Amino acid sequence: MTLRALSLRARLYLFSAAILTLFAVNVATHVWGSFARSESLVAYRDAVTASQLITDLGLGLESHRQQVLVLATLRETTEAPLDAEEQRAALAELSSISQRLRRLGGLGGEGTEDYYRRLHDSANTLLDEWRRFYNGYNDLGADFEVNSPATYNDTLQRLQELDKRQEFLAVQRSNAIDRTIALTDRITVIGFVTTIAVTMILVIALIRSTNASLLRLKTGAQRFGSGDLTYRINVKRDAGEIGDLARTFNDMSAKLQHAIEAVRNAKADADAANAAKSMFLANVSHELRTPLNAIIGYSEMLQDEIGDPGEIDRDQFSHDLGTIIFSGRQLLALINDILDLSKIETGKMQIALEWFQPAGLVFQVCDSLSPLVAQKNNQLELDIDREMAEIHSDPGKLQQIVTNLFSNACKFTENGVITVAARIEDEWLRIVVADTGIGMTDEQQARVFEAFVQAEATTGTEYGGTGLGLAIVREFCQMLGGDIELTSAPGEGSRFTVCLPVDPRSDHANA
Amino acid sequence: MSTTHTLLLVEDNEVNRDMLVRRLNRAGHTVICAGDGETALMRMREDQPALVLLDMNLPIKDGWTTCREARADTSLAELPIIALTAHAMDSDRQTALDMGCNDYATKPIDFPDLLAKIARLLPAA
Repeated sequence: MTLRALSLRARLYLFSAAILTLFAVNVATHVWGSFARSESLVAYRDAVTASQLITDLGLGLESHRQQVLVLATLRETTEAPLDAEEQRAALAELSSISQRLRRLGGLGGEGTEDYYRRLHDSANTLLDEWRRFYNGYNDLGADFEVNSPATYNDTLQRLQELDKRQEFLAVQRSNAIDRTIALTDRITVIGFVTTIAVTMILVIALIRSTNASLLRLKTGAQRFGSGDLTYRINVKRDAGEIGDLARTFNDMSAKLQHAIEAVRNAKADADAANAAKSMFLANVSHELRTPLNAIIGYSEMLQDEIGDPGEIDRDQFSHDLGTIIFSGRQLLALINDILDLSKIETGKMQIALEWFQPAGLVFQVCDSLSPLVAQKNNQLELDIDREMAEIHSDPGKLQQIVTNLFSNACKFTENGVITVAARIEDEWLRIVVADTGIGMTDEQQARVFEAFVQAEATTGTEYGGTGLGLAIVREFCQMLGGDIELTSAPGEGSRFTVCLPVDPRSDHANA
Repeated sequence: MSTTHTLLLVEDNEVNRDMLVRRLNRAGHTVICAGDGETALMRMREDQPALVLLDMNLPIKDGWTTCREARADTSLAELPIIALTAHAMDSDRQTALDMGCNDYATKPIDFPDLLAKIARLLPAA
């Protein structure tokens, strides 16, 4: 419906205008009717007055004729003069009749003019006759023909004709006015009924359209309230304020949706972080218990053996003490790694940048860890560029990176080859530590840099280590502005490639 | 006397295995060993130990799987198994018991407590 294209305010204005127009039409019709009624009243009044005047005139003329006839007879018989008083009274009566005749003329409406003129001519003739009669009454020589009824009868007849004419016209006019009144009454009734009907239709339409609009808003608000923030109110069906309100509701819902999503994501992140912390704690607990088991177990056992009678096997005793010391050191290394990782995670790990020659450092690490190579009957191959330039980095961190990668390679390789290569290319120091060991599946590679993850849950006890080494290595590489890459396949060894910028402050490194 | 019974110790960590074997021997138990779950199941069937001390973090086949498979084997269904693990959470303990272990000992091992658990589970001689 086009009504929906209008704003609520426009609709209300439109409806008010329509109702006011109808009201004005009703008032106009009513005024017309009233005018017609008052017109008819005036016409009736005039007709009644005219009728009375005509009767009055008729009577006046008749009585005066009687008087004239009596006087004429008296004059002939007695010749007594008419005194001035009587004469004046008679003339005054005549002018009164004449006056009434004029009044009658003023009352005559359309269509009576000819009748009136004829009456007027005839009556004036009669009145003139009578006036001459009175004026010449005392002049005995004069002769009057007042006895002839011709003029009188003529006048009376004209008077009756006018009366009839006026009556006819009054009836005709009254009929016309009655028709007008009936018409205006009908128009008034029809207009009134129409106004009521149209007003009701408009009001119902307004209520329905407004109600439908409000219902859409209410439905939307309820859906939003019940948490369905993907719901949208149809804004195309309303213009103006309600459309604006619907759009505002939709915007509010969208913003709420985003806010809730953000909160959900934040909660999911927090939950994940919390779960990771719990997992970390459980893992720390697990990792600390393994060396502690050996330390406590061996110590208790040695204590028991000291209490035994007889000679103590000193070699066995020394070996057992060695195991305790080894486990203790493992525990210490583990605690250091945990502290390192904790420092990295809390952002407290400091980087001390300085210029140094990395080749010497890599050689040094390989040299000091060479016993690990021999332990599982592995061979070491070095491909280090002794002439490489100095780099601006943290030597302590680089040493730990190479140490962890090197000891890892030794740990997971048996009767194989460990290769360490280092050179500078395009302002990047590239160190490769490769082995021909057990290797890793894609799934293992994806998780191997996470804390406490060794390629297999079960490799920890077989190969030792904290499961933190590679996590620390990657963190250090990234802190130094570089990264670490891994290529590996099960049974085909692993190849770790560390890339560090020669100078982390240069644009080249930041690119 | 419990010495007539043989215990099977399943532990992959050499240091811990050596330590436990020696201490159990001193306590009068005969101990045979396995380093992984697969070997452990084989020895359970062939050597018929009276009780198994089972580490959970094992190569090839972990302790939980080993325990479940042992319980699925009718000949091993009643074999007493004590889980040994450095996992110290309540949920870890429950997991081990759900897999069919009879008891649970946390590393570092409280040795007298472990002996008491073994004594409780061994059939009366």
